[in-house]
Amino acid sequence: MNSKEYNKIEEFVNDPSFINWVNKSQLTDVKFWEHWMYQNPDRKQLVLDAQDIVLGLSFKKATLTEDKVNGEWEKLEQKIKMTSQEVSCKIPFYKNRQFQSIAATLLLFIAISGVYFSNTSTTIIHKAAFGEVSDINLPDGTRVKLNSNSTLSYDDSNVREVFLEGEAYFNVKKKPATKAKFIVKTNDLDIKVYGTSFNVNNRKAKTKVFLEEGNITLRLKNGIEKKMTPGDLISYSYENNRIVEETKLIRSELQTSWKNGSLIFDRSTLESAMQDIEDTYGFDVIFKEESIKTTLITGAMPTQNLEICIKTIEKSTNVTIVNENNKLYIHKN
Amino acid sequence: MKDLSDYELWESLKKGDLKAFSTLFKMFYPLLHNYGLKISNHNTQLTEDSLQDFFIYVYEHRKNLSSLDSIQPYLYAAFRRHLLKDIKKSSKIVDSNSKDDFFVDINFSKEDLMIQQEIKDFKQLNLPLLLNRLPNRQKEILYLKYYSNLSNGDISEVMGINYQSVSNLIYKGIKALRQDVLLKNLVKNIN
Repeated sequence: MNSKEYNKIEEFVNDPSFINWVNKSQLTDVKFWEHWMYQNPDRKQLVLDAQDIVLGLSFKKATLTEDKVNGEWEKLEQKIKMTSQEVSCKIPFYKNRQFQSIAATLLLFIAISGVYFSNTSTTIIHKAAFGEVSDINLPDGTRVKLNSNSTLSYDDSNVREVFLEGEAYFNVKKKPATKAKFIVKTNDLDIKVYGTSFNVNNRKAKTKVFLEEGNITLRLKNGIEKKMTPGDLISYSYENNRIVEETKLIRSELQTSWKNGSLIFDRSTLESAMQDIEDTYGFDVIFKEESIKTTLITGAMPTQNLEICIKTIEKSTNVTIVNENNKLYIHKN
Repeated sequence: MKDLSDYELWESLKKGDLKAFSTLFKMFYPLLHNYGLKISNHNTQLTEDSLQDFFIYVYEHRKNLSSLDSIQPYLYAAFRRHLLKDIKKSSKIVDSNSKDDFFVDINFSKEDLMIQQEIKDFKQLNLPLLLNRLPNRQKEILYLKYYSNLSNGDISEVMGINYQSVSNLIYKGIKALRQDVLLKNLVKNIN
């Protein structure tokens, strides 16, 4: 209401007196805005549009029943009265009947919970944000590199069984004495491992596993088991119930270069390269022309510097990339 | 009791007046309950337990409370802190940044909004979807402004960010929303 020009919808919508006019809740405000509209007929449409938005943002009010609220109050009142009763009692506290029953209940609770506490386990969760690569050392000695926007979790009672969302590279510690397996679970499959190095990529409703060294058995969620040898790449989607890709890679660095902070492409389509960039940086990628999607790109770019990454792509293919509102727009030069 | 100003109601509470406390409780419980559900992503048990603990805490520390002219923003700010503490305790997340923005991710649904059927712009829209795409802070601010009708000054007190940031974030949020609306209408008109 001070020096605002009221030329933009956002100014109206931000103004409490305007909101009051829309909701017809304060007479002075209603009168003010009616008068304002009369004096500024050229901006009438603006006002109506702003009104639409305010009305559109009308929330329903809380729908708790009176009984519920009263019930919660009674619970609260009880607790308040109990604590004040203990304070105002004149007989020695250990003779207080209520104290004795509370003490007895507490002892019983401790006795029972003693059993339960030893059975509960805690879930440990590790997260990596966009544009970040996180190194994790699991309690059993396994080393994990967690890629952008990924989550690794496990129960501390069973540390050789982990859940992965996103992408990670595992260096599993062999346990020759116990021959204990290490298991990685995603939505699509379980990976049973015996001391080995491999890459798991679980993004976009499928899981892609690349084995660098050692041996792995995949147990797909549809029941099928697949043994893998070094260089194998298998990609499976539970949602579509099919093996999307199954090949042998000679250049493993295409799958695992992210660990060293770079993305390497060897005649990949621009579309699939931008997909990796989207996964790494978290920006939506929008192609302005269909034809450029199939341009091939070869090269290496950083995973932690978006500017250089964009410039590299622009130089090696014939495109221009514009970064606006956290979206990357790509078009032909 | 209902005719007492915020200031008087709060002063009565400070003196230990249970009747005043009861009035206060019944006035704000539904609002805080809804806010709590939004913050905790609809964890009713956690929210209600947290509310009980919160109100007990307020009552037990009534002597140390400072005087207030407006109860709502104070309760919102204090409860938000209290609930976030409870949420962080129960979430067991290790080594990730534990800023509020990470935990407060409000999810709007169709049930929350009174969709005005007559407004042609909004008929075809999935407004909750558009709202949910906004960054966490903006979502919370829009919720506080349009659901709880808090002023920008109150909101800055509740969320612990400065006044100018609140105004800017609302501006940005509405702008983004409007662009989505316009875009959708444009697409509609082309088809």
